[in-house]
Amino acid sequence: MIAVIGLLLGVGLGLFLKPDVPIGLEPYLPIAVVAALDAVFGAARAFLDGIFNDRVFVVSFISNVFIAALIVFLGDKLGVGAQLSTGVIVVLGIRIFSNVAAIRRHLFHA
Amino acid sequence: MSEQLVPQERRDDRVLPDQVTMGLLPYLTAHAVDEDYAEVAARRPDGPGRTSRPPIGVAGAVALAVFAALAVTAAVQTSQNSVSQEHERRALVDQVKQRKAAVDADRRTVTRLRAETRRLEAELVRNSRDSGSVLAELGLLSMRAGTAAVRGPGVEIVVDDARDATSDSSHVLDIDLQKIVNGLWRAGAEAISINGQRLTALSPIRHGGQGITVNFRELTRPYRVLAIGDRLTLPSRFVDTTSGQAWLDAQRQVGLRFSMRTQSSLRLPAANLPVFRYAEPGPTAQEKRSS
Repeated sequence: MIAVIGLLLGVGLGLFLKPDVPIGLEPYLPIAVVAALDAVFGAARAFLDGIFNDRVFVVSFISNVFIAALIVFLGDKLGVGAQLSTGVIVVLGIRIFSNVAAIRRHLFHA
Repeated sequence: MSEQLVPQERRDDRVLPDQVTMGLLPYLTAHAVDEDYAEVAARRPDGPGRTSRPPIGVAGAVALAVFAALAVTAAVQTSQNSVSQEHERRALVDQVKQRKAAVDADRRTVTRLRAETRRLEAELVRNSRDSGSVLAELGLLSMRAGTAAVRGPGVEIVVDDARDATSDSSHVLDIDLQKIVNGLWRAGAEAISINGQRLTALSPIRHGGQGITVNFRELTRPYRVLAIGDRLTLPSRFVDTTSGQAWLDAQRQVGLRFSMRTQSSLRLPAANLPVFRYAEPGPTAQEKRSS
């Protein structure tokens, strides 16, 4: 319940405040969202597995977002930003897919 | 290299971690969820085997809220960007249309100006033809008026006082020169000069001071009269005129010296005429009629 409240609160904040992303951080926002999505799906799977932990979730969330942004930042500085973004997206995408598959097995027993 | 590694790997495969033994994609799939969850759960007193799900705390809810805000912000940003890109594209399209219209207008202007240039060039050609004829007329008129130097065939008349000049009648007088000039004009001379003074409509031949003045310049004898005209007919026609007859009489009676020779080429200078300051061209015949 509190999770749903938190999600709705975040959506409301984002829609209501419409925070203006600084132009320097703009390229890192999409990759940060994908990394956060990975953390969220991982947490959901852990929750369904019965091993969820608040602290682990928060730490993995922050570190995922931070490292994803850092990798893209480094790639930009080295001139391979697009390739590194693609790599990060591929890895996170695979993780998200397998997590979602596990969640699906939990929910539908299929 | 792999030949050396393969037997070792086979011996030690029980201790090697999954990162080494598995391929990248299977490892990613197998370890999709953070292993910290499992480790933390294993350290719990009630062990991993429990069935009840642990509750989601405030920290987790805050992290979810941050995630939702991030996602919404990214979505809003992307849609805004696409909207602004669409605006920019439309503005660019408008600009392109405007510039195209401007280019078309400029092209029309160029075409118009080209036509005008052609017209003006034709006019210029016509005008230069006209001005050529005007210039030719001006040259003719200035030759006639004596303001232009001329050359051509003609006669040279040299007159002088009698050898033993005692009385006035044995000197060449202004009236004698006037007679010669009038006779030459009668005989068909086109241009006359006396001692280098070109005769015009305003040239007086007077007696003044020590001798004769022409164009208000004093002349010294002998007097050399040059006349351009038909050198075959000019001498005989001159002699036929009354002034020519009078001169022949004077030559016989008084002894004035007179000699006439035809010349194939004579050069007559231009006259120094005063600048017109009061006279203006009169109305032409057409203007007279219209007024």
